[in-house]
Amino acid sequence: MTALIEKETLIGKRVPKLDAPKKVTGAAQYIHDIELPGMLVGKIRRSERVHARIVRIDTTEAKALPGVHAVLTAADTPGVGLGHGKDNPPLKGDKVRCERDEIAAVAAETEDIAEQALKLIRVEYEDLPAVFSPAEALEDGAPIIHEQHPKNIPFTYDYHHGDVAQGEAESDVVIEDNYRLHFVTHCCMGVSGAIAQFDSEGNLTVHSQTQVPFLYKKEIAPVIAVPPEKIRVIQPVIGGAFGSKLDIYPFEPICIFLARATRRPVRVLFTREEEFLASPTRQPVELVLRSGVKSDGTLTFRNCRTLHDNGGYTSWGATTPFVIMQTISSLYRVPHCQYHTTVVYTNNPYSGSFRGFGNLQATFAVESHMDKLAEAVGMDPLAFRMHNAQQPEETTPQGMVFHTCGLSECLSITTEKSGFLAKHDANRETQAAPTRTGSAVKRGIGMASLLHVGGGAKIYRSDGCGTILKVDDHAHVTVITGSTEIGQGSETVIAQLVGEELGLPVSAITVINSDTEITPWDVGVHASRTTFIAGNSARGAARKARDKLLIAAGEKLKVDPETLDLRKGLVVRSDSGESLLELGKLIRSLHFARKAEVVMTSDYYEPPSVMQDSEFKGDVSASYAFGTQVVELEVDTGTGVIRILKVTSAHDVGKVINALSIEGQIEGGVVMGMGYAIAEHLIVKDGRMKNPSFRDYKLVTAPEIPVVDMHFIETNDPEGPVGAKGVGEAPAICTAAAIVNALYNATGVRFCELPLTPEIVLRGLKQCGGHCP
Amino acid sequence: MANVERYEAPESLPELTQILAEGPATMFAGGTDVVPQMRVGARPVRPTLININRLADLRGISESNGVVRIGGLTSVADILDCAFLKQVASVVVQAADCFASGQVRNAATLGGNICNASPAGDMIIPLLVLDAEVELASWRNACVARRRMPLCDFFTGPGKTCIEDAEVLAAVQFPVPKPHTVGRFRKFGTRPALDIAVVSVGLAGVKENGCFKDARVAFGAVAPTPIRGRNTEAALVHVELDGDRISDIAQVAEQEVSPISDVRASAWYRTHLIRELMERMLHEVHQTRD
Repeated sequence: MTALIEKETLIGKRVPKLDAPKKVTGAAQYIHDIELPGMLVGKIRRSERVHARIVRIDTTEAKALPGVHAVLTAADTPGVGLGHGKDNPPLKGDKVRCERDEIAAVAAETEDIAEQALKLIRVEYEDLPAVFSPAEALEDGAPIIHEQHPKNIPFTYDYHHGDVAQGEAESDVVIEDNYRLHFVTHCCMGVSGAIAQFDSEGNLTVHSQTQVPFLYKKEIAPVIAVPPEKIRVIQPVIGGAFGSKLDIYPFEPICIFLARATRRPVRVLFTREEEFLASPTRQPVELVLRSGVKSDGTLTFRNCRTLHDNGGYTSWGATTPFVIMQTISSLYRVPHCQYHTTVVYTNNPYSGSFRGFGNLQATFAVESHMDKLAEAVGMDPLAFRMHNAQQPEETTPQGMVFHTCGLSECLSITTEKSGFLAKHDANRETQAAPTRTGSAVKRGIGMASLLHVGGGAKIYRSDGCGTILKVDDHAHVTVITGSTEIGQGSETVIAQLVGEELGLPVSAITVINSDTEITPWDVGVHASRTTFIAGNSARGAARKARDKLLIAAGEKLKVDPETLDLRKGLVVRSDSGESLLELGKLIRSLHFARKAEVVMTSDYYEPPSVMQDSEFKGDVSASYAFGTQVVELEVDTGTGVIRILKVTSAHDVGKVINALSIEGQIEGGVVMGMGYAIAEHLIVKDGRMKNPSFRDYKLVTAPEIPVVDMHFIETNDPEGPVGAKGVGEAPAICTAAAIVNALYNATGVRFCELPLTPEIVLRGLKQCGGHCP
Repeated sequence: MANVERYEAPESLPELTQILAEGPATMFAGGTDVVPQMRVGARPVRPTLININRLADLRGISESNGVVRIGGLTSVADILDCAFLKQVASVVVQAADCFASGQVRNAATLGGNICNASPAGDMIIPLLVLDAEVELASWRNACVARRRMPLCDFFTGPGKTCIEDAEVLAAVQFPVPKPHTVGRFRKFGTRPALDIAVVSVGLAGVKENGCFKDARVAFGAVAPTPIRGRNTEAALVHVELDGDRISDIAQVAEQEVSPISDVRASAWYRTHLIRELMERMLHEVHQTRD
C-alpha cells in the first residue's frame, strides 16, 4: 500500500525568515565579527571645515607613532572621483566641500593608536565662503563648490506631457503650495564598515556591505586602479541598508588603499557618530506644486518645480527626480503635467538612495494637494480620489502600463475598515471647538495613496538577475542567486518559490548569495525588485530542474512525465498522489547511470520593461505597486504632541508569497514613514550636523508604534513570480502624507513642512489663532 | 580611556575615601553617564578609575527618626520598585518611572544622576521639592568625615557641583513628608521613552481643604542647573485653587524661568511648556481629593 501525497503549497504561508535563528542567537557574522590574521584598524581623518582650501597636510608625526603602518592623503591615491557624479575623490587634496570630507587615513595596530595618529595629522586650511541653501547657491556671485560647475548646477531634469496652460485654462480651481522636506538618515543598526585584503598576485577581496555587488566591482575599479576581474566582493550579514549601500562612499576605497599600502588586511568600521556624519541622507527637497481641478472633481494638471540640495557631492540623491516625476505625472490621472528639477551644490551633507527614493517627498506634496482640491470642490477625500484613480490596463501619459492596478480596491478597503468617512466628518466638526487645558486633545483621520515601481526599474540596459541551481544526491537544493539579502527576506522568498516548483520544504533549500566569485550577475537590491526579478529567475531555474527530474522519472518509471508531479521529496502520480519514487533515489540513479548527469540548471530573468527615452517616457517597470494608508491620530493642542493611534493599510502586492515577511515589511515601512513625519530630523546648521547621535536624533520607539491593520490586495500580476509584485519600499511612502492630512482633519491647520515635531506643530497651531488656549 | 593607570574596586567607605584622598580619580557606578562622556572626550580621563559598585553600605532606602535616607548607590530601578517610597514620597517614584529605559534604570544610580548635575536630571527635581540634603563623605584625620548641604545649594552650573575631588556622595536624605502631602512630577520629552527632558516640573506640598499650606516647586532644563521655583511657590500657598488662579500661578511659573534654545527645543517652546505643564499639574491636583 503506497501513501497518497496531497499537493501542498508554500505560497502565502507564514514562513519564518531563514536567517532569523542565526541573527537572534548572535551567530550571524556581521562586518564587526570577521577577524582576519594580521588585520589592521583603519581610521579616517575628516574635515572640520565645511568649505576650505587645503593648504598643507603634515603627516610626519602621525607616521612616526609606533604601531602606525600607513598614513595616506590624496597625494598617495589616484584621485579619481566616486559616486553618481564621479565628483567625489575618496581623499580630498585641493579643498573640502562639506563637514564629513575625508582628508587623510591611518592604518594602525589598534584602534587607540589609530585615533591618536589621526590627532597628530596637522592640516592647514584657508576658509572659503560657503553656501548652505540651494537658493543662496544659485545667486549670482555665489561661492563655487566645484570649478567645473560654475553655476553650482550639476543636473537639471525636465518632463512634460500635455499642455499645462490648457490644463490650467480648463480648471475651476487652481492651488499652489511650497513644500519643504528635511534631512533624515537611514539609522541602520549595523554601522558601515569594510575589510580589504590583497593576495600576493594583487587580487583584491573586499568584505563589503554593498547592496549592489556587481556594479560595485565595475564602479570601484577605476577609483582604486584595480581591474574589475581582480576584485572579489564578499558580503557579510548586512545590518540594514534601506538604500544607504547602493552607492560607493569614500571609506571603501580608503580601506582598499590602506590594505594596499600596508600589505595587510585592513578594516574600517564607523563609530555611531561617524555613521550619522558620513552616511548619505534622504534627499531634502523644496517643492512648489501647482494643481488644478474641474468642479466635477476631475484633475486637470500638475505643474511641479523642485530644488534639490545636492550637498557637496553627487550621490544617488541627485537622481531622485526620476521617481518624483513618476508620482507627479501618474499618481491618479493627470491629463497635463510639467516638471522641473534643479539640483544644486551646497556645502551641506549629500544625499543618497533611501527607501522610496524621492517618493515620500513627492507623495507628501501630491496627497496634500489631493485633500485640498477635494475640499475645494466639495467632495470627500475618498470620492475625489476614486474619481481620479486609474484602472487596470491603463497606460499613463508617461508611458507606464498598469497591467494590474489595485488602487481603487486599496482606497475602498482602507476607508471601509477604518470607518474613514464618518470619522472624517465628525473630526471636522470639532476642529474649531475651543480647547481647554486638560482636554486639549483633538482627533484626526487622514488618507494617502502611493504609486511605485513593483517589477524592477530599467535604469541600466539590463534589469536582470541570474540564478544557478543544483539538486544534490539527497534532494537538497542549493540556489545560487545574484541577489543580495539585506534583511528584506529575499533568501526566504527565493527558497519558497524554488520549493514550490520542486515539491520541497524550505528546509531542503540553501540560498547562496554573498560572493561574486560564485554568484551570477544581478543589478542589485534597489527599486523593490528582488522578489520580482530574482524570484522570477530562481523560479525559472527551478522549473528547468523540475522538467529535467520529471523527464528522468518518466523514463525510469516508463510513464508519461506529464502525469507526474513532485511533492514532499517524492515523485508522485499527479492525479492520484500515489507515491512512486524518492527524489533522492532518482537523482542518485542519474549520477550512477551510464550517461551520468547532474541536476544543475541556470536562468537569467530579464523583465519586459524598457529604459525611458530622452523625455523620461516609457514602461520602465514590469509591474507597478499601489497602496493606501489611513492614519488615525490624536494631537495635543497644548503641547503639539502627535500620537499615532492606528494605521489601516492596503497594498496591491500582486500575490502574498510570505505572509509573515510582508507583514514585517509593512509594519517597518509604516514606522519608517512615521519617523520621517513626526520624529526624525537630522539638524544641519551652517553645514554642520547638530545631532549626530541616537540621543538627539529621535527614532520612533516601541511605545509610539500604532496598531497597523493590514490588508493585501492580490491582483495576480501576470509577469510577477506566482503573481507577486515588489513591496519593499511601498509601505514607507505615503505614511507622512496621510499623517499631515489627519493633522489637518484634527485642527484645520495645513502643514507644508516636515518633521511635525511637537514644537513645529505647536507653532503652526498658534499661528492659526482661535484654536489654542 | 588609554590613559587610565590604576583601577580600584573598594568595598568600604573608608577604603574608597582613602583612595580619593590620594589624588584625582574618576568614580563610576552604573557608568551610564561617565562611560559615554569619557568615550567622546567630554570628561577628562583621570589616572585612577574607581569602580564603587562594591560599597554595599551606600545602597538602600531606609527611614529613621522621621528622615528618609537613600544611599548614593541605590539604582533608579530600586527606587521605582520601593513600596515604602511609593507610600511616603511618590514623587520620587514618579520621576524614576520617567527615567530613560529599563536597562538604564537597572544600572544608573541616584548618586550618579545627582553628581552628573544635568539641568535636565530626572531624579533631582523630586528631591528638590522634598527639601532633600546630600551627604558628602571624605577621608579626614584618619576617619570618614561627612558633611551635609541642601540639594538646592549643591549645583553650580551644567555638570558642576560643590562636591570636592576627594568626596563621594554617600546618601540623600529628606524629612518624611507630612500627612496630606501632595507630590507630582511631570517630564516633557518628545517621546515616551529614552528621552532627555525638554522641561520637567516638580511639586510637593501639604494640601488641606483644597489649599496648599506649604509648597515647593522645581523646574528642570530651564536654567544652568535644576532650580526651585520660589515665586511660583509663593503664588501657590494659601490660595484657593480655581481655573483663574491656576492660570495666574502658571503664568508666574512661565515668568520665572529663562531657558535657552538648543537642539532639543527653543526657549520659546520651553517657556510655553512650563506654563502648560504647571497648569495641567495644578488642575489635576485641584481635582484630586485631599
